[in-house]
Amino acid sequence: MLVTRRKFLGCGVAAVSLRWRLDRLSPAVDVTSPSALLDLGKHCSLGESLSGYAAALGAAVMRVSVSSVPRCAALIVPAAARIPPAASDAIATCLDDGGRVILESGAGFANQADFAAHRTVLREAFDVYVERPVDLWPQAHGSAIPYVEFTWPVPTKVRDFSRVVPLASREGEVIARVNGRPAAIKCPRGRGTLLVLGSPIGPALWAGDAEAIRWLGAAVTT
Amino acid sequence: MKKSIGDNMIPKDWGFERGLELVKRAGYDGIELWLGDMPWFQMSATDGDVRELRRKVENAGLVVSNVSTGLHWASPLSARDPAVRARAARIVERQIETATLLGTDAVLVVAGLVTEEVPYNEVYQRCVAALKALGATAQRAGVRIGCENCNAEQRFLMSPREFGEFLNDVNSPAVGIHLDVGNIHDNGFAEQWIEIHGSRITRIHLKDVLKHRGRCGDQSVYTNLLLGDNNWPAIRAALTKVGYDGWLVAEMEARYRYAPDQQFFDTAQAMDRLISGRL
Repeated sequence: MLVTRRKFLGCGVAAVSLRWRLDRLSPAVDVTSPSALLDLGKHCSLGESLSGYAAALGAAVMRVSVSSVPRCAALIVPAAARIPPAASDAIATCLDDGGRVILESGAGFANQADFAAHRTVLREAFDVYVERPVDLWPQAHGSAIPYVEFTWPVPTKVRDFSRVVPLASREGEVIARVNGRPAAIKCPRGRGTLLVLGSPIGPALWAGDAEAIRWLGAAVTT
Repeated sequence: MKKSIGDNMIPKDWGFERGLELVKRAGYDGIELWLGDMPWFQMSATDGDVRELRRKVENAGLVVSNVSTGLHWASPLSARDPAVRARAARIVERQIETATLLGTDAVLVVAGLVTEEVPYNEVYQRCVAALKALGATAQRAGVRIGCENCNAEQRFLMSPREFGEFLNDVNSPAVGIHLDVGNIHDNGFAEQWIEIHGSRITRIHLKDVLKHRGRCGDQSVYTNLLLGDNNWPAIRAALTKVGYDGWLVAEMEARYRYAPDQQFFDTAQAMDRLISGRL
C-alpha cells in the first residue's frame, strides 16, 4: 500500500498508541514517531525482504514510494539494489532531520550495472564502501552456520542471507560481523544515524525469525 | 484405476517411439512425461514439438497420464535467489502449458528444498507464496498441481498432517498432493497418507521401499513393487476407502542389469495385482 503525505501523518499520530507487533518477543516499545518503509519497486532486489519488514512492523510503519517519502523519524529501505536520486535525497533528508535510516543492501542480488550504481551512491552520498558480494555458504558445508553477529543495539545472531557485501566507512562503527567480515555499520550522518546492512535480514523477518524481529525492534527505537 | 509409467524408465538408447511401443506392449494405459529429463521433452520444446509428442503417444495407443519434472531439484521454488525462483516458476508454468497440449490435467512439482543454507521456515513461506500464484494459473488451465512428498530428499513436510496444513495455507483447489507411496520410508505408513489426503491426491507414484535399510553410500532404499516393506493390502484398502480411481504411475529405479525391458512387464503385472486386490 502506498500512501499520501496526509495519510502518512495521520498514521504517525495513530502510531503513538501503537506498540510493535513484536512485543511478545522483546520488551514493549512505544512507537512515538512515524516510520516509513520505502518500496524501491524494481530497484528492490528481494521482494520478500520488503514483505518481511512490513510483516514485522505491521501498522507501525507506512509503506511509501520513492516519489512520496514524507519526513519521518525512521526510514527503512529494504534490499536496495540501484538507489535512485530521489531515494538518496529522502535518506539524506531523514538523516539531516535527526532520523534513523536502516538501509539494507540488496547488492548481493543485483546485476552488475545496478551493483556498480549502488556502490557509487553509497560511497559518494554516504561515505560507505561496499565490497563485492561474498558467498559464505559453500565454505560452510559441514561446519558452523555463518551467522551475522550483531553487537548493537542488542547482541543478536541472524543467518547470513547467502551473499554478504562487506562494508566499511571512515566514521562508521561496525555493529555486526559474519565470519570476521564487517556485515553492518552504524554511521553518524547529519543529525541522524545511518545503519547499513550488508546481509539482508528482511527474508528472516518474513520467515518469522524471532531474533531478527527482536533486533529490528531495538534498532528502530534505541 | 489406470496404469502408467515414466518415460524416464525407457532405456537411454531406445528412443521415444520404441519406448512407447514397449510401454504399450507391457500393458500400460498411459505414460508420464518428465519435462527436462529426457531429450525428447525439454524446456526448449515448442508447442509444435509437444503436439508431435502427443501424436506419437496416441499413435502408440496410449495417453499422457501427467507431466512431471526433476528440474526443481536444481531450481527450487524455495531458492533464495529471485532469479532461480523465477526460473522454477517458469518450469511449473511450462508444465501446465504442456499438460494442456498433451491432454492431461495433472503436473508433479517438488515444491521446496530445505538445505543447510536455506532453512525450513524460509522454504515454507516461499513455497506457499509461489504455489498460491501458480495454483491460480493451474486453475485457469484446468490443471492440478500435485506437490510430491519427497520427504527424505526435501527434508520438508515430513508428516501427513503437516503436508495437509501446507495445502491449507496454499488454499487452492488446483493444488494437491502427488503421493509417492515409496517416499515415506520409516517415518510413517503410506496407507495413512492416502486416508488423510483423500480427494487432494492428484496422482500416485508407486514403488516399494526397504524401510529398515536406510541410506548407506549409494545403496538405494527403493526396490520393485511387492519386494519391499510397503503394506500393499493396506494401501489397496486405503485407496478403496477414499475412492481413489485415478492414475497409478510406476516410478522405479532402473535396476535390471540385464533385459531392462523386463522391468516394465514385471511392474505392470504387480500393478495389476494391486488394482485387482489379489495380494
